[in-house]
Amino acid sequence: MERKKMLGPLLLFLLPPLAGLFLFKLYPIGNGIVQSLYTTSFLSGDKSFVGLQNYMTLFQDPVFWDSLKVTLLFNVIINPLQIILAFVLALLLNTRIRRIAWFRSIHFVPVAISVPTACMLWNIMLSPEQGVVNSILTALGLPEQPFFGSSAQALGSIIAIASWKGVGYWALFLLAGLQEVPASLMEASSLDGAGRWRQLIHIVYPLMKRSLTFVVVSVTTANFLLFSPMYILTKGGPENSTNVLMLESFNSAFLYSDLGRSSAIVVILLMLTLLAVAAQFKWLKASH
Amino acid sequence: MKTTSMNKSSRWLAPLMITATVLAGCASGNSAPAANGQPEATPAADTQEITFAAYSNYEKPLTEAIKAFEEQNPGIKVKLDLAPFDQLVETIEIKLGAKSKDVDALFVDSPLVVNYSVKGYLAPLDELIDKEATQKWTPSAVDSVTYNSQLVAAPMNSSSQVLYYNKELFEKNGIPFPDENQRLTWEEVLELAKKLTGDHVYGFSFEQISKAYQLLALSDSLGVKMISEDGLTATGYSNSPEAVQAFRFYGDLFNKHQVSPKIKKEESLDYFTSGKVAMYLATNQNMPKIRDSGIDFGVTLHPYFADKQIATPTGAWNLGVSQFSEKKEAAAKLVEFLTLGEGARIIFEVGGTLPPQVELLNAINTDPKYEAFPDSILRIAAKESLETAVSRPMTPGYLEWESNINKAFDDIKNGTEPQKALDQAVSIIDNQLKKYKDVAAK
Repeated sequence: MERKKMLGPLLLFLLPPLAGLFLFKLYPIGNGIVQSLYTTSFLSGDKSFVGLQNYMTLFQDPVFWDSLKVTLLFNVIINPLQIILAFVLALLLNTRIRRIAWFRSIHFVPVAISVPTACMLWNIMLSPEQGVVNSILTALGLPEQPFFGSSAQALGSIIAIASWKGVGYWALFLLAGLQEVPASLMEASSLDGAGRWRQLIHIVYPLMKRSLTFVVVSVTTANFLLFSPMYILTKGGPENSTNVLMLESFNSAFLYSDLGRSSAIVVILLMLTLLAVAAQFKWLKASH
Repeated sequence: MKTTSMNKSSRWLAPLMITATVLAGCASGNSAPAANGQPEATPAADTQEITFAAYSNYEKPLTEAIKAFEEQNPGIKVKLDLAPFDQLVETIEIKLGAKSKDVDALFVDSPLVVNYSVKGYLAPLDELIDKEATQKWTPSAVDSVTYNSQLVAAPMNSSSQVLYYNKELFEKNGIPFPDENQRLTWEEVLELAKKLTGDHVYGFSFEQISKAYQLLALSDSLGVKMISEDGLTATGYSNSPEAVQAFRFYGDLFNKHQVSPKIKKEESLDYFTSGKVAMYLATNQNMPKIRDSGIDFGVTLHPYFADKQIATPTGAWNLGVSQFSEKKEAAAKLVEFLTLGEGARIIFEVGGTLPPQVELLNAINTDPKYEAFPDSILRIAAKESLETAVSRPMTPGYLEWESNINKAFDDIKNGTEPQKALDQAVSIIDNQLKKYKDVAAK
């Protein structure tokens, strides 16, 4: 009886988020999958069903494979890096040292800057011609660096900028998790002779798994889909060294007028993300 | 019982009503000016607003021309939608690709005329503008905007290039000024650039760094055809040995000789006007900006490779009417005003651009005003565009070709081996050009 009574309001409350989920997530995903099976004729604009042809063409295209490699390399580096840095930052923010409140406000500044603004700022600072970073390097007696102008440094530079901007945000969630660790537990363990490191491994880490899972999964999905820095700073270059799949998909749709190819890339990217997230869930649940 | 339920519902209603009142208050805030007796600035029923997607470099001449247009046509308001070059091309692609109705008139780069026509973006103008129009433009300008014997755009301006130089920097290095009528070779330009480079000054810079519009003059001078006759193959053309040779020269300016700064196109003008670049190869329409910056400058003709062909870049902006616009007539009126009417004169005079209108070109060649420097630059440009200009490659897939070749140019600037960069570009381009095969067959 009680339950039935609750069902109405429950549905009513769930309706807005469910509608949003369907409208902005599930429907576009379904639409993308359908689009990836079609090709649009150039002259008439007619769509014709081509089955898996878009995927077959992609798999034979070296540009796709290069782009996939870049995407994987980018994510293999940036995700662990951001999570570790965010965790360290959260630990730092959680310490009771003087003026930590000041630092708590300052560390959030990069988060509050929009991505394009941050990119433009860093572009000026990292400019090979009279950029401030190169001026500092020269003053220290070090050689000037090309940064975005070199295929060896461009991806690394973007990883650095994205992390500079992202870490502070993710650290907030981890900080919330850290503050949920009961002080009594820490006290008890230290009375039992546990050092800081052992406390971290055996108490803090297991108790933080929930917020950690959230951060790990969010960081991964965000970075798999990240392409605005590449779009703004390098256009995928030099030598396609920053041409991630999302950028390749964007170009396919809006430069090469090839919506089928673009959708196929997005679907593959979605599969990759799902795979990565599933693995992360498994890993973070295993020892629980 | 009833009263309690009433109470209950009124308890719920109260906050709702407060919220509603607040919201209504916010909404009415917008129309507040109407309350003080002033009529609201809503357009009259017969006023049409048209959106004009335009290149931001032309902001000044366009703003003045549009003001004149609106005075003459009180029924039409023009919303000027400005964007830098790359973003403009992209915006047009996204909006017209989606058959959007919110672009009425647009800038059309000459080599994209075919591409846009194939995709059905442009409304034929034959019925929409003056029948005599084609007589008033130069034949080459009319050719470039004709597709399937229909006029699909109207030429607004043409362009050519001159080599600007900073007199002060030449004097400082004890180098005599180049002769205005004596064309330097690229080899001579390089030697001069080496002498001028040093102490935070670079000897030479292109204006449109890593852009096909300007760099094709290098390959054109060596007689390179960048794309096959049917416009569908780049392999063997854009990466031919001569093309590699031409663009190796480009890369060497930055890497081997280090006489050019590794900057972006948007920064180049500032580098010249602030004295950080001694020689600046740029379009004629930069003259008003360079003159207004106050530096002491001179010009000479566009360089070429010794014993090879003389080739200068050319390219033009044309104005088109979107096929998806619901206000085609108003848009065509604007296009006509800017390419044939008083607007054309304003753009020519304020923008310093090279006109495609026969009447204005004649004025340049006869009016004594254009004998004196710096206005004489227009006369040089007019002459070059008639005698030495080489158009960019003709292909329906120009957008794909250009965006990938520009990327290759940028890689070469950053030190990639030219052969490698161009090989990579042509393989991507040829892949993208396949889809035009059936289009070209028709």
